[in-house]
Amino acid sequence: MARLLKIFALCCAQTVFQQAIGHDLDLSIDLRAVSSNATQSRLTGGLGTTRYAEANNGLQAGLLRLAYRGDLTDTLQFTGEAISYGERSEPVLDITEAYLHWRPIPDSAWRSQVKLGAFYPEISLENRLRGWSSPYTLSYSAINSWVGEELRTIGAEYALDWLGQKSGHAFDVGFSAALFGWNDPAGTVIATRGWGLHDQQTGLFGDFGKHDQQPLPERTLFYDEMDQRVGYHYAVKADYRGLIELHALHYDNRADPAVYSAEIDDTGWLTHFNSFGIRITPNEQLTFIWQRLYGRTYAGDPPAPNCFLFSSWFGLMSVKSGSDRYSIRYDKFDMNQMVSTYRFYDHQQGHAWTLAYSKQLGEHWSVSIEGMQVDSQHRRRTRIGLPAAARERQLQLALRYDL
Amino acid sequence: MACTVLALLGCPAQAAALSVTILQADGRPLTGAVVVAESKLAYPARTNVKAIMDQRDLMFVPEVLLIRTGTAVEFPNSDQVRHQVYSFSGAKTFQLPLYAGKTQPPVVFDRAGIVTVGCNIHDAMIAYIFVTDSPWHGRSNDKGALQLADLAAGNYLVKIWHPRMNEGRQLIEQAVTLSDNADGSVKIQLRKALRGAVHHHTTGKQWQDY
Repeated sequence: MARLLKIFALCCAQTVFQQAIGHDLDLSIDLRAVSSNATQSRLTGGLGTTRYAEANNGLQAGLLRLAYRGDLTDTLQFTGEAISYGERSEPVLDITEAYLHWRPIPDSAWRSQVKLGAFYPEISLENRLRGWSSPYTLSYSAINSWVGEELRTIGAEYALDWLGQKSGHAFDVGFSAALFGWNDPAGTVIATRGWGLHDQQTGLFGDFGKHDQQPLPERTLFYDEMDQRVGYHYAVKADYRGLIELHALHYDNRADPAVYSAEIDDTGWLTHFNSFGIRITPNEQLTFIWQRLYGRTYAGDPPAPNCFLFSSWFGLMSVKSGSDRYSIRYDKFDMNQMVSTYRFYDHQQGHAWTLAYSKQLGEHWSVSIEGMQVDSQHRRRTRIGLPAAARERQLQLALRYDL
Repeated sequence: MACTVLALLGCPAQAAALSVTILQADGRPLTGAVVVAESKLAYPARTNVKAIMDQRDLMFVPEVLLIRTGTAVEFPNSDQVRHQVYSFSGAKTFQLPLYAGKTQPPVVFDRAGIVTVGCNIHDAMIAYIFVTDSPWHGRSNDKGALQLADLAAGNYLVKIWHPRMNEGRQLIEQAVTLSDNADGSVKIQLRKALRGAVHHHTTGKQWQDY
């Protein structure tokens, strides 16, 4: 799969670069100063909920991002996004998205669109900047941190929009449906690590929090096809004059939890969930976002595979005043194991407050500061000799350059 | 000019003015409403045949452009990103290919009506071009008022439009008769509150909703 995807991405990039009628190149560099009291980082193998632990305190390379957009024709665009994170080892620069997007110019209120390749499903209402980053906080909500960790649509998506606002009405509506493969391990992280809050996206060829601490599984390949079964998701959305936006999505990877892959030493994870969200922007200064996601995942040992329920919601308020932006977010999350074949029932619950301030310094530079406090209980921590309860505090100062 | 043409056409030569005041449902003035006075009299010739609708910070500027039939409108792109301007409105259907800068020829609006303009890359971008045959037109000021000058005596149909109007019909229309040497006035109050203002959240090239 990895080889196929790489060939697809490289062929697309080469063809588009040679034939394109227009190019866009993006470069983002983000440097951080970090102070954290967390015992373990979530992203280097531990059961913490934050990106950085005490061992990471000091200066860190937040991220390096390279992106390319090429317009092959007036209506066909290729997008490729690649990111590298300072504290991760392999691979140095990994692709997070690579897809073709066909978007014909509408000649009526109905417009079709097709995406083909590897891209994000339409779930997040906070990840609104290129590179799937957020204008509001450095660390994403628990829900969208998980989306960045485990979910990618590798397949095709069809979207049908009704452009009501362009035809004299007050609102637009849209429907989309996607078929995908290579997402059979989705659910592993939420079940074995619970929820976390950070800004790292798993690359298409990368791994998540590689480590050697049992009983956590070590992952090498992340986006994998194990059972030759096609997954799907479908979504509806509505937009009232840009003031109120509603999103709803249902996801089911249709993985076979009985199929075992020796390559990643794991079974498929059958994961399905629903996500609902609303974004309200009453004026150009204020933004409110609320989102809820709940679902379940199954893995291994038929006829009664391990079963985990997960749910989370967050509320975010952001105020923009000139080049300054102030944001506050509250997250609540839980994960409960309902069926266990190992006589151990895992459980995580917690909540988090995130406060952030950012300032745009001219066209290319910005500076952000974010404080986050996460209170959580995670039963699995006791299996590696840590207390189940943790209060993790993380302070980040980020200096970012966007070309 | 208008008087001269009307005189040549044999219309009454005494020009009158028409004052129009538009109030919102709650009594506050309605600013920026399009006001057009239509008549069955022959219209004076056009004087302004070119107009510009710019694209800046992922917005059309101006959001509402009021032009006479036959006007050629340029759509320069002052942003760093490419735009793809289109309309499928009945009064004018057109599509401009992806472009940056001032590379596209102007579009001639040859039929009266309201044309909604969008960008296929940035769905939040929306603008309106109100195309009218009548030379007696303008937009209400911050007091909700507009004075139309140099109208000949006769019957007029005053049409009011605003992009946020929510009256259940596209236009508000009111008939008015102007007599020789007598100025007329029209006062219109909306029945329903305006729709919310369209929110332009995207102001830089980095914005791209997922």
